[in-house]
Amino acid sequence: MLSISNLSVSVADKQILDGLSLEVAAGEVHAIMGPNGSGKSTLAHVLAGRPGYQVTGGTVHYQGRDLLAMAPEERARAGLFLGFQYPVEIPGVNNVYLLKAAVNAVRRQQGLPEVDAFEFLGLVREKMQLMRMDDSFLSRGVNEGFSGGEKKRNEILQMLVLEPRLAILDETDSGLDIDALKVVAAGVNSQRDPQRSCVVVTHYQRLLEYVVPDFVHVLVRGRIARSGDRSLALELERRGYDWVTGEAA
Amino acid sequence: MSSTLTNRIVEDYASVAAALPAAGAAAQRRRGAIEALRAVGLPGARDENWKYANLRPLERLRFVPAVPAPPAQLPATEPAPLPGFARYVLVDGVLAAALSAPLDATAAQVFSLAGAGSPAGATPAAAGALARPWRELQGDERFALLNAAFATDGLGIRVAGASSQPVRIELLFIASADQQAGASYPRVELTLADGAHLELIERHVSAGMQPSFVTSAVTVDMAPRATLQHYRLQELNAHSTLFDTLSAQLAARASYRLHGIGSGAQSARSTLMVHLGEGAQLQLAAAAIADRQQVLDTYALVEHTAPDARTVQTFRGIAAGRARVGFNGKIVVQPAARGSDSQQSLRGLLAGAEAEIDLRPQLEIHTDEVRCSHGATAGKLDENMLFYLLSRGLDRDSAQRLLKWAFLEDVIAQVALPALRRQIEERLVGRLRDEQLRELL
Repeated sequence: MLSISNLSVSVADKQILDGLSLEVAAGEVHAIMGPNGSGKSTLAHVLAGRPGYQVTGGTVHYQGRDLLAMAPEERARAGLFLGFQYPVEIPGVNNVYLLKAAVNAVRRQQGLPEVDAFEFLGLVREKMQLMRMDDSFLSRGVNEGFSGGEKKRNEILQMLVLEPRLAILDETDSGLDIDALKVVAAGVNSQRDPQRSCVVVTHYQRLLEYVVPDFVHVLVRGRIARSGDRSLALELERRGYDWVTGEAA
Repeated sequence: MSSTLTNRIVEDYASVAAALPAAGAAAQRRRGAIEALRAVGLPGARDENWKYANLRPLERLRFVPAVPAPPAQLPATEPAPLPGFARYVLVDGVLAAALSAPLDATAAQVFSLAGAGSPAGATPAAAGALARPWRELQGDERFALLNAAFATDGLGIRVAGASSQPVRIELLFIASADQQAGASYPRVELTLADGAHLELIERHVSAGMQPSFVTSAVTVDMAPRATLQHYRLQELNAHSTLFDTLSAQLAARASYRLHGIGSGAQSARSTLMVHLGEGAQLQLAAAAIADRQQVLDTYALVEHTAPDARTVQTFRGIAAGRARVGFNGKIVVQPAARGSDSQQSLRGLLAGAEAEIDLRPQLEIHTDEVRCSHGATAGKLDENMLFYLLSRGLDRDSAQRLLKWAFLEDVIAQVALPALRRQIEERLVGRLRDEQLRELL
């Protein structure tokens, strides 16, 4: 699904990722953990194609294609989804309009006709129920006036509607209370499937109690310092990042 | 202004004066206006509030009024009349009765300003510029003088007092004459009695692709507690020149919602002057969408003259290509206007490397106990928003169009008539698409 090899990235001449390698196979959930400034969000953004990052070395292949050569919108249409840490508010663009435009962009790519508006609304409502979002959401602007928790739920709702092959969730758990965390986790789990993969970027292992990863990686100074299974997250929780950063130094 | 220009105006006037309608009030108005113009002239580029306007076309334009030739029927491209609205069509400023669907109500009188049909005492009591002595006339209303001197017709609208339902009127001004043949002088004199309610749509369109020169003047006189929703849509063709002046007086607790949406003309200048009495309210929401080499400029002067008046002003402008968009909004709170409340939000979106946006919020406060806030920002499309949309699979062009659309929504959403709002949105969708196509050329 995703193959990152020796990836180096800098922002404004400051090296952030430094020879990072990672393999994500279909059906797997990977958690990326690490202290502040270790490059977690940079990795998520580079995979989604955000401008402002200079790739100085390495390769990224997604479903056999050179991901770094694809425009952000091409990546999205090929089934890559980024759940933002800080989703933007876009007043004046209706939530449903965006969802529909996004789904139709993928469908056009696949040579399929546009979605039927009525059926689509039904699908959105069904997913909204899962995310415990009320009907008023439909007519509101994208994230307009949403609380932090609502924005994150909206990210997951978009993911549920778009059904991506590879979801990258950038600190989707930050700022969530425990109830919202469970709702978000339920949303993520509902999409687990042998054909789909997920990369969960997180600070804390709390989310991983609900979204149980197949692999846990610890990012330190721009490269993966340690990989393991879920027990690694628990050990990090107990011993703190110093344990790994000390080793990596 | 150059004296050459003044001389040309006076000469043009002399050449047609004898042929202009000379019914009592109109003739007096005309003579007063031309005398005042001779004395004060039109504003020039050095005038503080005119530096964003395009005054150059004046050098080659003729001022004599065009003789309209109304079409037998309205072009199919014109928007359908809105349900419940009477429609009056004026071609080159002259009422075309055959094309109009007059009001079927006694709550208002609508009459041609050309003379014969005017009810007694129809001259507005305090109708902005024209009711005040010329020497007191503010420099920025001087294009209204041009209209007052040359307008051969126009509409007077008088809305009687309190009724539960608002009177609904649409005015469709069609510019049909080529500027070589003469100018068009749309004119509206609006009077609302105590407690009267009016919903007014004022559209300016072109009949074809010929360049037209349009100088419009609207006066609004609102008695206490009157309410007015006024939608002004400027959709002239891309070759035309427009100078527009609106002067409004609001008596105590009158409430005026003034919406201006300008996307047409090669260059258009709108001058809005509003005086607010005690507890009067003004909601001014304006949008301008310009591309190619269009120049769309608005000057809005709002004066709070008595206590407790309130102004909310919103402007959104998009300039693409090499277009220029200007909005100069000045709010003056006079010494007597304690308890004033004003909010001003001006935003511009630069959608072309050579486009220009000039926003100027001004507050002049001469008393304490007021609440005034203002903000003005001009910039490009928000990169974070754009990336968010791209990351959802939208192509770049669609994403940019969508964000431009969203940018204008602050103003469009304030259009309280759903059917009209839909028409405006449809036009904007078309407009934003056009722009994309032009970028491909």
